[in-house]
Amino acid sequence: MPVPILKQGDTLIASIVAALSDDDLLQFRDDLAQKIGTVRARGVVVDVTALDVLDSFATRTLRGIALTAKLRGAETVIVGIQPEVAYTLVQLGLTFDGISTALDLEEGLALLAAKKQARK
Amino acid sequence: MRAMGLTRDAIQRRRAFVGLTADDLTEIAAAKSAVQSTVDQHVDAFFGYLANIPEARGVMQNREALGLARQLKRQHLLAMVEGDYGEGYVEQRLKLAQLYSQVGLELAVFLGAFNQLLHSLEGVAGNHFPSLCKVAFFDIGLICDVLIYERERVIRIQSEAIRELSTPVLQIRERLLLLPIIGVVDTHRAHQIMQNLLAAVRAKRAKVVVMDVTGVATIDSKVANHLLQTVAAARLMGAEVIVTGISAEVAQSLVALGIDLGKVTAIGDLQGGLEDAERLLEED
Repeated sequence: MPVPILKQGDTLIASIVAALSDDDLLQFRDDLAQKIGTVRARGVVVDVTALDVLDSFATRTLRGIALTAKLRGAETVIVGIQPEVAYTLVQLGLTFDGISTALDLEEGLALLAAKKQARK
Repeated sequence: MRAMGLTRDAIQRRRAFVGLTADDLTEIAAAKSAVQSTVDQHVDAFFGYLANIPEARGVMQNREALGLARQLKRQHLLAMVEGDYGEGYVEQRLKLAQLYSQVGLELAVFLGAFNQLLHSLEGVAGNHFPSLCKVAFFDIGLICDVLIYERERVIRIQSEAIRELSTPVLQIRERLLLLPIIGVVDTHRAHQIMQNLLAAVRAKRAKVVVMDVTGVATIDSKVANHLLQTVAAARLMGAEVIVTGISAEVAQSLVALGIDLGKVTAIGDLQGGLEDAERLLEED
């Protein structure tokens, strides 16, 4: 199932609504990198609220997505990491080093707005 | 019965422990009528002994419990010579043992009274007594286990309560949480602290968490690691964690242990931490 990527102003919002296969994730990564260029996005919010599991591959890919987006000129915020997921990630020593995280979509958008403000 | 792991096999093993065999059952059958006709005398021996023991006041003054205990003890003695020591028999023993535990009968006092009961039985069972004695030890084993199990259960409940009390997550104001940690932090508690905190971050939509460790006397590498993990997990959920109240000794020992707390924001005292937290919140 492909991940829908919505455009809101100069921000892209991608909400992962169900567990993704590895292929879906890679597809998502490619789509997003492409779309950042076409819509000239400056920010990306990836919402993982619906996920109750994040394995090492997904974590690494999400990290890759965020770093790719950055090179394309867009700041990424990962939002909606569940308490259990956060707990498991740190237990496994997986962290989103250098990548912004926020509580939910609202917070994520606020964070991007604050960063935009800082750029001006 | 199930909670204590008393399955059919376990009961069988217990019978084997006391060496109860088919020969014993014939012996017991021979003593059956003698015991049955004098059953009240044995019950009296047991409770008569308890009446003179100050520690057994809990049982003897509780009329209702005493009545029930006498009745159950009478049943016990009758069942003891029936020759069937299966699940039904064990169930009866557990019921009586639970009653003892409820009225706070101490194990040592119980054993004293049981000894009197055995003396009384010996008088009427004569040569058949050794077989009966095996059943008695089978019973004692069960009763001891129940008394110990009940005591451990109380301890478990209490320590659970202490743990829950000891890890509160307090809301100072909108989006700001305070997590005071007091006392000894072990792995289990650290785990609980982390889960409480993460759930609270979600529920209260916290942006900043001040973790105060003034009340933690020692932090070893394990606990430090747990604290680091808590900070990292909260950050994944978009909350910044400020650690306050690391004492001079703790700071020195952390450095000596070579633990890298570089990624953690640490402020000297709680006041400073709260001020900093307010500043972070205002920035947004």
